[in-house]
Amino acid sequence: MIVYFPFVLFAAGLLIAYGSAGVRRQVATIAMLAASGWSLVLLVDPSTAAWAIGPIAATLLLPRAGERVRSNFEGLTRRAVTLTVAVLVALFLATRLPVGENPILLSVVPWLMGALGAAWLTSPTDEPERLQGQALLVAAAAVLILVAVPAGPLTAGVAGAMALVPIAGERGRIPGRFRPAFSGVLMLVAAAAALAAATGLTLRAVNLDDLAFDAGGPVLLASAIVLVAGSAVSAVGIEWAALLAVLALITAAPSLRWAALAALVAVATGLERHAERPAWLAVGLLSLTPVLQALASPAWSARVQAVAVAVGLVLMLFAARAGMLRVLTLPATTLLVMLLLSSLSTSNLVRFQWVAALGAVLLIAQPLLSSLIGGGRPELIRDRLLGGLLLLAIGARDSLGLGDLAVVLLLIDLAIVRVDGLTRPASGWSGRLILLARSNWPPSATFAGATLAVIGAIQASLMLGLLAAGMLAGMQLAPLLDRPALAPGPERLRSSLRWVGPILSIACGIAPALVLRMLRL
Amino acid sequence: MPLAAQALLPFFALLVAAAIVRWRPRRNVNGWIASGATGIAGIIALVELLRLAPGEHVDVPYLTTFPYADLAVRLDGLSLAFTAVTLITAAALMLSRQQVRGDRRDPWFGWLLTSAAACAVILADNLLLLFIGLQLLTLAWSGALDETARRRRGLRLSVQIADIGLLLAAASAIQSVGTSAFSGVPSDTFGLATFLLVLLPVAVRVGALAWVSSGPQAAVTFEPAIAWVAPAGYLLLRLLALMGGRLPDRPTAVALFGSGALVAIGFAVLALGRPAGLRLAAPLLAAQAALALSLSTGSEPLMTVASTWLWLLLIPLAGLVSIRVAGRSLAETLTLLNLAMIPGTVGFLALWLGGLALAASGLLFGMIPVALAVVLLGVAALSRAAGIRSIQLDPAGIWAGALLVIAAFPMLAMNPIVLPAAATVRLVPSGTVSASLLGIATGFGGWPALLVSVMTAALLGLAAWRIRDRLPLRRARDVIGWRIGWPSRPRLRPPAIPAWSRFLVWGAFLVVVAFAMARP
Repeated sequence: MIVYFPFVLFAAGLLIAYGSAGVRRQVATIAMLAASGWSLVLLVDPSTAAWAIGPIAATLLLPRAGERVRSNFEGLTRRAVTLTVAVLVALFLATRLPVGENPILLSVVPWLMGALGAAWLTSPTDEPERLQGQALLVAAAAVLILVAVPAGPLTAGVAGAMALVPIAGERGRIPGRFRPAFSGVLMLVAAAAALAAATGLTLRAVNLDDLAFDAGGPVLLASAIVLVAGSAVSAVGIEWAALLAVLALITAAPSLRWAALAALVAVATGLERHAERPAWLAVGLLSLTPVLQALASPAWSARVQAVAVAVGLVLMLFAARAGMLRVLTLPATTLLVMLLLSSLSTSNLVRFQWVAALGAVLLIAQPLLSSLIGGGRPELIRDRLLGGLLLLAIGARDSLGLGDLAVVLLLIDLAIVRVDGLTRPASGWSGRLILLARSNWPPSATFAGATLAVIGAIQASLMLGLLAAGMLAGMQLAPLLDRPALAPGPERLRSSLRWVGPILSIACGIAPALVLRMLRL
Repeated sequence: MPLAAQALLPFFALLVAAAIVRWRPRRNVNGWIASGATGIAGIIALVELLRLAPGEHVDVPYLTTFPYADLAVRLDGLSLAFTAVTLITAAALMLSRQQVRGDRRDPWFGWLLTSAAACAVILADNLLLLFIGLQLLTLAWSGALDETARRRRGLRLSVQIADIGLLLAAASAIQSVGTSAFSGVPSDTFGLATFLLVLLPVAVRVGALAWVSSGPQAAVTFEPAIAWVAPAGYLLLRLLALMGGRLPDRPTAVALFGSGALVAIGFAVLALGRPAGLRLAAPLLAAQAALALSLSTGSEPLMTVASTWLWLLLIPLAGLVSIRVAGRSLAETLTLLNLAMIPGTVGFLALWLGGLALAASGLLFGMIPVALAVVLLGVAALSRAAGIRSIQLDPAGIWAGALLVIAAFPMLAMNPIVLPAAATVRLVPSGTVSASLLGIATGFGGWPALLVSVMTAALLGLAAWRIRDRLPLRRARDVIGWRIGWPSRPRLRPPAIPAWSRFLVWGAFLVVVAFAMARP
């Protein structure tokens, strides 16, 4: 009987949260979190209860107004429909992914928490509810993976603590006078990581109690990329978010990895809201992979994982048009997917390749369609083409890792080199260097990445190779199509270190083999 | 000196000169520095070619990156012959430009980089490096760091997109045999599709020759010879070398031969109505390039020699037509003679050798469209010839004369340059072609080059003297009123698309994803 108590507590908390305001609603939310923690304890192990500390602290830091927000009929209907759909999806997933022989009413509680977070994020009544929704989603990602892939108390606690990050993203800014120093430190760490990767230095896995970190394989280079991206082009004092991306890359525990990525998305979408839904969907699909791996029937688990990873990456590329989503979340997600793909079987890799290829076509079709429909700000076709090439390259698992190399080069281009708009006409040597770095000409990273992507795609299949070649041809025409979209806009970030991008682009274009060596494939 | 250093000497000469002219711009001496350095680079390549043993090839690696993307130089008969001819032509163009008075523009830096990039294309050791070299060459001649720059944008984009065909061929080779290095690709690696893909950049560059005729002509134009003809010829012959000197099958060879001849006829007809000058020379040159493409389809050694001869000598011919000459001058008349492809010119010699090869195979009727093209070329060129008003020795006149001398004494180019290059494309048994002071002898017949040149000169001189009052015979009138250039943008309104079509696209994507998930 006791196994149903978490569900009852959650249901009661949900009713009270929707029917009240102020402290009572805050307490009800904490009760729902406690119910999820209880469920986790019953499903896995009492030591994992440490997970609940972070989400509960986040809820305490988000006080609710004493009076209920006035709502209208449309708003209420939308909220009701959103919650209903989210709960139905949660129920479906809970029934399809049972945790051993535990009753569904016990294992559904973490899913319901995720559904509630999604509902509050999608149709919030006010800003604190949206923030609470983000915290719940991050916490849900952690708890669901903890249920599927159990971890020790420290890992569970840190994964749960990720729920605090959305609030930190909203309020935590590095003071102006410390930003250059912080950026400099991040750059130094990035340089050290790149140097270690280039020299072939082997870093041993680090274990802090049950919390394990591993910087083997391509992780060092991946960390260097996100650190440079975070330090050079991070917005308004949240350079620290780069550390979340690094955490997601180096941690060995899936629960912490995907929770950190979800937290990163929460920080990024705090500034860049127009693409938050596809970004969250992407994180949801990607964090589903460890759950599927552990809980789903072997008959369909692997193929759904392959498709989920592909669709997740397509959605992330769709969302990451500008801002922090592009600068930090896109590289972190892509590099994590790159690590994931090594475990796919050949047949599932083909499945991934085809979904990725269709996603690439979709990415390019969207801005073309938007330009025909009219209205709204025009999108950069070249960015979409680069995204499409990235999708094609990532699926090309060739023996030398040229597809992976292309992915890294294209990511450097998308996230570091091509972040801010080129608003001034180029003059002098510096202007020419910047123009060259951002062009399709050799030796820019764009050229090297796109060329290697075509070669990699052909290794996978002729059709993918031809598609990649078509995209490369499109890239030659893209500068002409992109002129209206290149006007400076409010959502484009300004790179704080103007020279880093162009120099990195040219260096990568001249010596891609060094980057391949740093990948340590 | 180690071979690795020797192979870099042409690049060194060109890049040092480029640095000097960039460092001290707008000096009169820059032209001399540029032409001198380019000439030295060309002579270095020629010396390397002469020192090369028959059939020898050397791969000089500098940086081993991936197994199929090594930074390496290929020294063989084909690459060194093309490098030498291209750089010597570039040097001659620079010298001609140096003679131009009143033009204060300073083209030397760009021209030196273009020469270096052309050299990189020709000396590249693998297909991937060749693709990168072609991109650098396009960047160098167009100077369009800003990709939206309007100058020759259509042509630049066409070339860039067409070059992707070569990238696909390189990728296909890498997939098949794990390398795109010339030494490691077996001759059966490339099929018809790959051949056609590589033909794309060649065809676009041949088309570019006709394109250049639009707009006013500069005193000296650098691109036609160095950036278009030389890479196009080299690319085609290199691919043929990789394929063992022959096309995948006979129908393809016949189709390509016919297509080349038809394109040549088309260009010749286009030239019929053009006035003298670059607008006339450009289609005539493109027609000769199309004929060279036709000859390249043959699998007989003699045909390979013919096509190599024509491609190599088209480079200086393209350089010659890139120099603006005064009307009714000796240079103009000699240029028209070279373009006419009549007996006694370098072009005709190639056709004669090709004809001999076809006759030996019992396919002489294949020369009918070629002969038609030649007649049209002759009519188009000679009907524009006007009486010579003054005889002055200018660079273009000397250049055109030198080409006629080579046609009269083919051994000057055949033995040291053409035969080593042709022998790289495919095996040319000894005795296939032997050039002497008087002409050329082959197993299927000879060509008394000196005699033909003297007779042609005499006949033409006599004819010109008889009809000197009626020259030029035809007035310029476009036979085909095409404008070579981008078609004007059609004024079409895009169809109205409802906003919900976005969801339709996403819906289709999700349906396909569902299928991908459900498929076992």
